[in-house]
Amino acid sequence: MTDIVAIIVNGLVYGSIYGLVAIGMTLIYGTLRILDMSQGSMVMIGGYVGWWALATHGVNPLLALVLAFIVTFVVGTLTELVSVQPLIGRRGEVDFEMVTFITTFAVGILLTNVALQHFGPFQKNVPPIVSGNLDVYHGVSISYHELTMAGVSVLLMGALGLFLARTRWGFAVRAVAQDLDAARSLGVPVSRLYPATMGLASALAGVGGVFLGALYFASPTAGDLPLLQALIVVVLGGLGSLTGTLYAAYLVGLMQAFCEVEIGTTWTLPILYTAILIILVIRPYGLKGSPSEARL
Amino acid sequence: MTAALDVSGLVAGYDRTVVVRDLSLSVEAGKTAVVIGPNGHGKTTMLLAVSGLIKPMSGTITLGDERIDGSSAESIAGKGVVHIMQGDGLFADMTVEENLLMGAFVSSSWRGRRETLRRVYADLPVVESKRDQKARTLSGGERRLVGLGRGMMRPARVMLIDEPSLGLAPVAIEAVYAAIAKLRAESGATVVLVEENFTHIGGVADVVHILETGSIVRSGSFNELSNDRTVVETYLGSITDVTT
Repeated sequence: MTDIVAIIVNGLVYGSIYGLVAIGMTLIYGTLRILDMSQGSMVMIGGYVGWWALATHGVNPLLALVLAFIVTFVVGTLTELVSVQPLIGRRGEVDFEMVTFITTFAVGILLTNVALQHFGPFQKNVPPIVSGNLDVYHGVSISYHELTMAGVSVLLMGALGLFLARTRWGFAVRAVAQDLDAARSLGVPVSRLYPATMGLASALAGVGGVFLGALYFASPTAGDLPLLQALIVVVLGGLGSLTGTLYAAYLVGLMQAFCEVEIGTTWTLPILYTAILIILVIRPYGLKGSPSEARL
Repeated sequence: MTAALDVSGLVAGYDRTVVVRDLSLSVEAGKTAVVIGPNGHGKTTMLLAVSGLIKPMSGTITLGDERIDGSSAESIAGKGVVHIMQGDGLFADMTVEENLLMGAFVSSSWRGRRETLRRVYADLPVVESKRDQKARTLSGGERRLVGLGRGMMRPARVMLIDEPSLGLAPVAIEAVYAAIAKLRAESGATVVLVEENFTHIGGVADVVHILETGSIVRSGSFNELSNDRTVVETYLGSITDVTT
């Protein structure tokens, strides 16, 4: 029983943060048809914003999250303008998906190196958003920090869902994902919508970065592993499918928790990746992707 | 009479392929001009150039007294050009109502969207009955009506309608043309409608233009052109549909 509670609690916590980082990637893939490889560096930047705000300036944690959101929104927007926007007009001539995969990756590497130059290679400690532990069930405990992380992730993903389902600009994002020319002919300003979408996605990863920074450290390469994990979650869920991304995030989270509790940490990754390999061989288009293509 | 839309010397196409060559067309305010011509001769390309979805290679396009060639699609939409695209251009994974609401995306229309939506539903009861269905689940005729309904969601100065009868069963075509007649009467918009032949346009055309290999080769009234044997035989193959 203790095991089951531990698996579920940890699984949900892992799943939430995977979801938060990955959902931005899905949003971008769904609308722009690019795999944004700069998302990892947004996690990294979020971590440094957390460190700067919480450790060196003692800022209110909520404010630190908002600050991370704003900073990564701006960086994400600029990333789009530099690495994607110039190529949009030439979609027909180039392999857009492949080229932007590399250009966004290049921006990610640049940002990592800027962080390396500016902050040095050493890890910075980020204080937790909330300290203390909650005893869930007979010795199974969870830190308030992780609980907040899961809560904020779910809240932000819910807000994103509402934004897409209810608001004018949310409609526009989905419309652009489904039929670009029709959306343009209805007056959607695509040249502004694309950078804003990438900014929004980056901001979600940035907020995730503050939490992950406190869980691990802020460092120049802090975004590498989250990027890889997000990539896996996004592909597993079915490229471009938001619900698929959520399923995949929690599935990966729960699998990871199960391995850690039942089998041991050293076996976690081999088992996890074997499972992913099997799932993708059986369903190459992911959990919720359609065989042809998935759109938001 | 001033022209609501004036196209002059238009050259347009895709990459290096020129499809529309030196096309000139002027449409009087409030009138419906029907452009007829065989497939692949530039009808759709002409409409795409007018609404800014492709950039004209040369020539001018004037809306009222304002040049719009070279402007972006979103700014042309904002000036009151409504383009009902070939193949409907519906958002397949959005509901019928969401599709209609997107028709009011332009900020001046968004505020009054609920009111407009009621009016469109009143005009097109079939569309209302499908309001919560995803667009991908509709039949071809229903999709076409939703496309027209979406075009009615904001005031149009010029409305471009691309082959509304394409691929539809005769009953569905009737319903679509009934909706177009309603739309013309209510909006008072200037309409440019494109079709492959004369069969369905008798009730809506004020002027008919014939487009061949990228430019307008004949213009006249519906009666004049549809009774001209050389026109019908040269450009449209069969005459049987027209004389009956």
